[in-house]
Amino acid sequence: MKTTVVVSLSLFLSAACTHYPSHPVTQTQTPFGGMNEAARQTAPDVTRTVDFTRIRNARSEPQNWLTYYGAYDGQRYSTLDQIDTSNVRQLRPAWQFQFGVIGLVPNPATYSFEAAPIVVDGVMFVSGWDGYVWAIDATDGSLLWQYKHSIPLDTPLCCGNVNRGVAVANGRVYLATQNGHLVALDATNGRKVWEQVFADVRAGESATAAPLVVKDLIIAGSSGAEYGVRGHIDAFDLATGARRWRRYNVPKPGEPGSETWQSDEWQRGGGSSWITGTYDPELDLVYWGTGNPGPDFDGSVRPGDNLYTSSVVAFDPDDGSLRWHYQWTPHDVWDYDGVNENILFEEGGRKLLGHFDKNGYFFVLDRSNGNFVRATKFARATWGDIDPATGRVTARIGPTKEGVAICPGPAGAKEWPHASYSPATRLFYTPVVEACGTFKLIPQQFKEGMAYWGGEVAIDKQQWGHVKAYDPATGREVWSWRATHPILASLLTTAGNLLFAGEPNGHFNAFDARSGELLWRFQTGSGIHSNPVTYSVNGKQYVAVPTGWGGWVEGYAPEMYGAPRGTALVVFALP
Amino acid sequence: MTRAPRLLVVALCCSILMLAGCEYARLLRPSVLKQLNPRVVRLVNELPEVDHPNEAIVARLFAHGGLSHAKLGSDGVFRDRVYVPKNQYIWYPAIVVMERGGELELEFSNDDVVTHAAFVPSDGDRQVVLLPVHQAGKVRVTLNHPGLYWFGCPISNHAGRGMLGLVMVKGETPAEAKLDRPKQDRP
Repeated sequence: MKTTVVVSLSLFLSAACTHYPSHPVTQTQTPFGGMNEAARQTAPDVTRTVDFTRIRNARSEPQNWLTYYGAYDGQRYSTLDQIDTSNVRQLRPAWQFQFGVIGLVPNPATYSFEAAPIVVDGVMFVSGWDGYVWAIDATDGSLLWQYKHSIPLDTPLCCGNVNRGVAVANGRVYLATQNGHLVALDATNGRKVWEQVFADVRAGESATAAPLVVKDLIIAGSSGAEYGVRGHIDAFDLATGARRWRRYNVPKPGEPGSETWQSDEWQRGGGSSWITGTYDPELDLVYWGTGNPGPDFDGSVRPGDNLYTSSVVAFDPDDGSLRWHYQWTPHDVWDYDGVNENILFEEGGRKLLGHFDKNGYFFVLDRSNGNFVRATKFARATWGDIDPATGRVTARIGPTKEGVAICPGPAGAKEWPHASYSPATRLFYTPVVEACGTFKLIPQQFKEGMAYWGGEVAIDKQQWGHVKAYDPATGREVWSWRATHPILASLLTTAGNLLFAGEPNGHFNAFDARSGELLWRFQTGSGIHSNPVTYSVNGKQYVAVPTGWGGWVEGYAPEMYGAPRGTALVVFALP
Repeated sequence: MTRAPRLLVVALCCSILMLAGCEYARLLRPSVLKQLNPRVVRLVNELPEVDHPNEAIVARLFAHGGLSHAKLGSDGVFRDRVYVPKNQYIWYPAIVVMERGGELELEFSNDDVVTHAAFVPSDGDRQVVLLPVHQAGKVRVTLNHPGLYWFGCPISNHAGRGMLGLVMVKGETPAEAKLDRPKQDRP
């Protein structure tokens, strides 16, 4: 009787707690062992001899695009002139590299293909969204190897799943991953050599910018000012990955600049550094932009100028120590950041830098000491005024509880996509966003790892864009070309007197850099929000543009939500 | 203390206790008790402490596939088994927890009536193994960093119908990478 009860109970319990599998396994499969293992090739060891000296003299080897901006000065200018204003109409696609989604994306996130491809002696290194790095034959688009960093789905994204590029040196490819890891890969096979964590995802940090090689260091900036972080820039040993220094963009009490913070809001003060810096080897100064203060729109909790947010910081690369700073937007309550590139150029023997800020003004500074030279308004800007002669800032309208219309919107009059300076025409060229918005103040409590905006902005339905040319010597607008949508791709100039500019509708355009005349256009099939580059192999010049629309679309072009997507690199050459 | 004030103190204490406990008292309402099915009890008892922003996605998957803690082998590799039950388009367990970053070996088997595949993230490159009907397959992946990672079935629309799972890697960012600031409130 007792046995029967025990057996019955056991049977009942085993039936109640179903275990899988209920069928026996008939066969065991082996995994494919990596998605591309079979296709994996070896890339020639072209980056082995790329070092500080070669990157410093990058413009002397125009066949290559050795660093994020092409050269330390950030000009995004190439001396290649095979393709010029006389033959650009014959430009044809030479090859394409396509990368669609296989299976799962990390989460249903927005993404876009924003990178600046790096080219060294016929091999291209380019990063995609979601932790991909590819080595590609730069003559025909064949994939040589692929690396995929696994990105956690709970990474705190500001504005989409994006990455803007890699750095190369000494046989390595360096990638800052979205979850804040700096990864060094073997440039011949894509296998990881070392990895360092430089941002705290649990605190709301992430990373999107290409790192920068300076001397024996690799320097990386972090993202996260929308999450109330304390922004910083980190440097690691190029060879070993050992930590060398970290500099915070928001000072602690007692440090210089701390007098511009009245409460403990410095702890959540923002000022992240999500765009790659530029470097002057003669002055030995790195110029790096800093992001908005936190919270973005509610300035009442952080009275003061809030240094060094929405600024440029000029620092010593050896230890990160600050030499000078210039704040583009003191006490920023519009999310105007200050991260946009600082392009180094000379005028009348003076060492200057040019900077198109999100706040709608084109600044020229003396880059040896940060002294103001001039400022010019380059788009609609109603938030305030900047005196063109003195640089004095007068703020006029800030966010209100009821909501108020302000230009530009939080994407700025120029988003991160980079301007270009052509030493041939001695002109600056900038992409322009004409998108205003209604700024609302919504006070909130800070919780670590959660968005900390203190407000909200609804972007106007009507936007457009421009490509504009400016004379930095006078601040005068030389020409302007109006586009249907905001221009959200970096510009590229060449010694062929050409200016290349992509549009959100997929058009890739070539202009005469002197006159602004549109000479050639190609429909790539998806919006362009990236960094086109040019290079040459065996005497043939190529122009490469990553296409793949997405990112923070609601911030700069909401009417383009749902526009064709993709992840393709389109490369052009003359027949 | 005289009797009247003593009674007052007791009454006050009772009121405070009642007020403090009313959240729990509410659990005894029939409408709440009715919802206490085994799945909910499991959810409450087994769901690890997750940070608030990720609670929704973790709990959503937990309710249908449950959770398992991968076991750490003497070779330093975490291991677990995941099944595909018949006609449900789920992974069982749907959540695999690694106590820290490292290598994870997952053995999948397919008890369903159609072919599936397991697509699992890994540093370096993702791994995929086909799972024909009543067959098994093993992948070994590397997930070094804390966070939540999807795995899923890339065949047809299976992932969209429910065949998504999570690998939950526990742990914190290394101290040297954290922000230099006092401890902040978390959600």
